[in-house]
Amino acid sequence: MKRKIDLGILFSRSGSYKLLGEASLTGALKAIAQINADPRFDITFRAVARDPEGNVDAYAPLCEEILRESGARHVIGCTTSWSRKEVIPSLERSNGALWYPVPHEGFETSDRIVYTHACPNQHLLPLLDHAFARYGMRSYLTGSNYIWGWEMNRLAREIGLRAGGSVLGERYLPLGATDVARIVAEIAEMRPDFVLNQLIGPSQYAFLTAMAELRARNPYFAQGHCPVLSCNLTECELPTIGGAAEGVIAAGPWFCGLPDLSPSRGCGFGSSFEAVAHASVMMLAHMLHDRPGAEKLPLSDLLALPKAAQMGINARTHHTSLPVVIAQVQAGAFVPLKSMGPVEGDPYLTMGRDTLRPALRVVT
Amino acid sequence: MRRLQIPELGGAQAAILHRPHVTVVALTRQLEAIGLNVINYWPNLPVAARSNDYLFLDVDTAHDDQFPWPLGEAPIPTIALVGSEAPGRIEWLMNFGADAQILKPVGTGGVYSALLIARATFDARAEMTARIASLRARLGQRQTVVRAVALLAARGKSEDAAYDQLRAMAMAWQISFEDAAERIVANARQQESELG
Repeated sequence: MKRKIDLGILFSRSGSYKLLGEASLTGALKAIAQINADPRFDITFRAVARDPEGNVDAYAPLCEEILRESGARHVIGCTTSWSRKEVIPSLERSNGALWYPVPHEGFETSDRIVYTHACPNQHLLPLLDHAFARYGMRSYLTGSNYIWGWEMNRLAREIGLRAGGSVLGERYLPLGATDVARIVAEIAEMRPDFVLNQLIGPSQYAFLTAMAELRARNPYFAQGHCPVLSCNLTECELPTIGGAAEGVIAAGPWFCGLPDLSPSRGCGFGSSFEAVAHASVMMLAHMLHDRPGAEKLPLSDLLALPKAAQMGINARTHHTSLPVVIAQVQAGAFVPLKSMGPVEGDPYLTMGRDTLRPALRVVT
Repeated sequence: MRRLQIPELGGAQAAILHRPHVTVVALTRQLEAIGLNVINYWPNLPVAARSNDYLFLDVDTAHDDQFPWPLGEAPIPTIALVGSEAPGRIEWLMNFGADAQILKPVGTGGVYSALLIARATFDARAEMTARIASLRARLGQRQTVVRAVALLAARGKSEDAAYDQLRAMAMAWQISFEDAAERIVANARQQESELG
């Protein structure tokens, strides 16, 4: 007789970042189906899903609704740092836990949250190392106007200046805005060595399209020069962006074609958003399996189980060990350029980053 | 614009002056997540506690005798844990002079920003104290400068020329303007006493 456990799901299926929300949702649902069909697990999950439709103010009430109206104590969800910060009070009030399966900007370790995707020492720092070595030290920073872009660019500025580089410009667009002309004109004028792009959804699509037009008419920006970098672009947005994504260099824990992060029994993933959401649900299932009542444990007790450390979750930081891959869009698909073995998440960058360097190797 | 210098927190040492309590547990969790080592003191701080990088203290129970330094002269950045907002406690806190504060109960956040603010405030305060001390010393030497210029002018120079001469002497001796003035006044005094 399997234990039936409610599992909250909180991703947006519409709004400016729906492609990301849908990818996470797909990964979580694939994991639930896989666990429910697997006789080796003594649990089954029942998905309790809510859709905030990309509205940041809908997340907290819907999270609270999941925790109030179902038995769920664990919720997998949120696509932006803004919405993640919004649900923390609901989690505290209702004794819930959130599995946050997308990249974030670090500097947060809520004891109500497990951060299962990459943080800056797993995406931004290795990406900057690559760009500095390959393209130069003069950067242009852009992003959507909220905490992800602000903090990532602040970090990039600090790291760049410390390494002797310079920041030629920094500009933001409101979430959803597509008037990228001013940013692209400034980039054309300033000719940086690379552009660090923290734009989200339609803003990013419009920006990449305008950059592709610039590349077509200005030889300084010809393919192979002044690349656009991203810490969260994955395959799930490539079909929408089309040819304009060509040449973008991104960092992430996984890209299509690499070995799975968690055993998926061949169901395959479309992006790291999907793969990490799947891995998150699988990790939770492994901790609840064969441990009746564990679904009611406070998150700190659950993560203190030896099983958590075995799976790469750090009970101190609530972050996970992840591979680091630098990949470039070539002919419409991400091609890995460099990869390194699992790197522990270091949300406050206090573990010393020099340890990052020697592990970098070229993928052949 | 003031730019934040992020201090080196990995491996830094934080002291907590608080009786055994859930507040200590919550603080310790946050500090360890950030990468600091934590040491708990109660009921008093030993002299050796100065070697910590940060001090968290419980304002609800704090009193002057707990600290091995005079009120207002903490040698390390301090962060106040404020529970009771009674005026007497706040008055004590103002005299203690904490660099940052966190309201109790301590939950899952607040420590990281408190560490950054405490470090920045402490450093700014230390710099300000040093600058004020140096300005005060120079101010105190103003009378000496006036007397030195008068002594030099008494040898038949204009006041402006005497002033320039004093500046040239300070440069030649490689000491400050004020110290040069002090030397001239001291010399004059000595000559006077020798002449008796």
